[in-house]
Amino acid sequence: MKFSRRAVLAHIGAAGLSAALPVRSPAQNAYADLEGRPWFFFNDEQARFVAAMVDIFIPEDEFPSASQAGVVDFIDLQLAGPYGRGEGLYLQGPFPESTLPTQGYQLPYPPAELVSRGIEEVEGGQDGIRLVDRDLAGREAFVGALSGTQQSPVAGGFFDEMLKLANWGYFADPIYDGNRDYAGWRMVGFPGAHAYYLSFVDKHNVPYPVDPKGIAHVPGEGPAEFLETRSREG
Amino acid sequence: MAARTLPKTDVVIIGGGWTGLAAAYELANNGQRCVVLERGRYRHDATYFAGPGEHDDLKYAHQYEHMMDVSTQTLTFRNTPEQTALPMRRLGSFLPGQGLGGAGIHWNGQNWRPLPQDLQMRSFYVDRYGEQFLSDDDITVQDWGVTYEELEPHLDFFERVAGIGGAAGNVGGEIREGGNPFEGPRSRDYPNPPMKQPIATTLFAQGAAQLGYNPFPIPSANLTAAYENPYGAQLHPCTYCGFCERFGCGYYAKADPIICIYDRLVGHDNFEIRFNAYVMRVDKSSDGKTATGVTYVDEDGQEVFQPADIVCMCAYSLWNVHLMLVSGLGEPYDFRNRTGTVGRNYAYQTLAAATVFFEKDILTNPFMGAGALGMAIDDFNTGNFDQGDLGFVGGGYIGSTQTNGRPIAYQPTPAGTPGFGLEWKRAVRDNYNHSGGVLLHGSSVASPSNFLDLDPTYTDVFGRPLLRMTFDFPENDRRMAAYGLERVVEIVEAMDSVVSYATVNRAGPEQNYSVVPYQTTHNTGGAVIGTDPGTSVVNRYGQMWDYHNVFVFGACLFPQNLGYNPTGPLMGLAYWTLEHMKNAYIPNPRPLMDA
Repeated sequence: MKFSRRAVLAHIGAAGLSAALPVRSPAQNAYADLEGRPWFFFNDEQARFVAAMVDIFIPEDEFPSASQAGVVDFIDLQLAGPYGRGEGLYLQGPFPESTLPTQGYQLPYPPAELVSRGIEEVEGGQDGIRLVDRDLAGREAFVGALSGTQQSPVAGGFFDEMLKLANWGYFADPIYDGNRDYAGWRMVGFPGAHAYYLSFVDKHNVPYPVDPKGIAHVPGEGPAEFLETRSREG
Repeated sequence: MAARTLPKTDVVIIGGGWTGLAAAYELANNGQRCVVLERGRYRHDATYFAGPGEHDDLKYAHQYEHMMDVSTQTLTFRNTPEQTALPMRRLGSFLPGQGLGGAGIHWNGQNWRPLPQDLQMRSFYVDRYGEQFLSDDDITVQDWGVTYEELEPHLDFFERVAGIGGAAGNVGGEIREGGNPFEGPRSRDYPNPPMKQPIATTLFAQGAAQLGYNPFPIPSANLTAAYENPYGAQLHPCTYCGFCERFGCGYYAKADPIICIYDRLVGHDNFEIRFNAYVMRVDKSSDGKTATGVTYVDEDGQEVFQPADIVCMCAYSLWNVHLMLVSGLGEPYDFRNRTGTVGRNYAYQTLAAATVFFEKDILTNPFMGAGALGMAIDDFNTGNFDQGDLGFVGGGYIGSTQTNGRPIAYQPTPAGTPGFGLEWKRAVRDNYNHSGGVLLHGSSVASPSNFLDLDPTYTDVFGRPLLRMTFDFPENDRRMAAYGLERVVEIVEAMDSVVSYATVNRAGPEQNYSVVPYQTTHNTGGAVIGTDPGTSVVNRYGQMWDYHNVFVFGACLFPQNLGYNPTGPLMGLAYWTLEHMKNAYIPNPRPLMDA
């Protein structure tokens, strides 16, 4: 059975998320055209949880939220691939209970397993109400509590991993299916992968007005155009 | 036992980075048959580092595609000898390389010379302030055993190999405006002019000058003109693309070992390089006076013994030390009894910095960057200022660089900004194009409780014990960082158009060194150079005291770390060692110094 990503995310709206359906132009390059296929890693419940969590990290304002920018899809792909399987991670034991923060990650799980276990452990929250069933303030409190106190090594590691992945997904090149329509790059004014500034670098305080362009050569929309689109679509 | 023994070669070289390829070039052209064993794969600037594919922030800067694979081999870490070391399970604080060119393909290209007093650190401070100034039990700084005057021709030669752009501050004793007036006398100017400067680094330089300091452009291996090096390599001008550190340069505009050396050597009758050749150990003769060659695991997973008359250890500093320890070369350092030398005097780099937030009419365009793009002052580096009442040795340069604006990591936010949410998002957007930085790049003294040895518990995939690192910032360096950060803040407060700033001190109070956040790939010491076999692993020519046909290269030689980036000094040492190998050792193999 196939699930549309759009349909899964739509459930979040029904659950009271302030963000509307993700606004997407038609797929902008061959790499990112993955709409309509099943999740590679998540199940629907995990996807809804992750969408709610990353939209607390990166909420919608004049620029899209994390899930609107494809961050859930990005994380799904990452966790299904070599990164999620722990490529480049030393996972030999033993794994002692007592570790120093200066020693870094010391859990026996590759990222994909850490995220599955993390969702399972923290879902339900402190008072038994699921993240996706909370209103915005409730979600902020839920995620904030995860960041403030380390409930357990798994919960702490999970929070750090999700924050890192959300940031990657919002700002990495769109070939990885996040940063849709260059949401992250437009927000800060990063021109992207095509970079040649020999004749510009010492022009002081001069704006560099180009639309972002990623590795796949797809020109981005300018901020004005984007905002116009957003207001048109409601 | 090794499954297979190959025909003997004159020289076997462990590692295909800057020092290994320099050794191969010089010795192959001196008539020696050289075999380089590189643990990683073949790669080349033209075919592997071309943009825009190379400009993939996620793949290269955050998933470490060009760096070593810690699932094969890593190290364990603890802050103090009483703690239990645990594996560094992913890369973080430092990023050693793997593959042709080693970490030399993903360096920033900041290329410094040591100060004359750096190389005689103990005698310099004793001469200036008396013996008691260095009596602190926390400090084991020592002289290098080689002087600035001796290294100068070799520092100069590497500047030619890499086409360094900069402004000379001292040519033959004549001080020049616009350069670093504190540098040792150089025989001639840099081969290329300095880089162009953006607004943020210019504002720093103006602020520093206003306080009476001496700003100059950071010496850069990001090329500033079309250039041909002494080996005949053709390099191109840097585009300031902002994908330098952690990336290879497909523009041929950042000097690296592949384009500067390998391309001019490949095809030479005396040169062979084997990829995916992971060296397990250096093998020793039965009389215990020489090495017989090295054993490595080849790409089919088979152990191979490569006999050789000379072994050049040119792995990354940490892995040179690891190879010595697993091979039983030299006497391992014993922290409790203060005996042995291998693993002793491990040091790092001490960093403190301010992120600076400018008025909104200052547009920094941070994505226009280069690894060595920036301005610096050297007024607070080792011995360049009066330290008599300050209670610390060492120092560092203070600089402002603009290396990149890649937004996964370049997110300058004012102090007190939350780590996520609407306020964070707004702060990232508002400050991205209006921020800069000022950094203290501080030295790192050697200390008895900072060292490298073998871990008792964890192993690499080959079954060898992992290297164990024990390190925290010594009190001396904490005092140095606190003092340096005060100077950083004074400069920031003197700069025009500054709204606010936020500081970080990696060696601040209550701050223990952590292997998690990136700091620098400047791991030094553990196999240090010197004139006393009781306190050094190699003599002043880089030759092992115990095995005269083993020569050691790289930052593992530094008796303590400088306030500078290590590539310039370690390449000066490499060419110094190679000169003595060619002129003194190879014609008559023997210990070049009496123990």
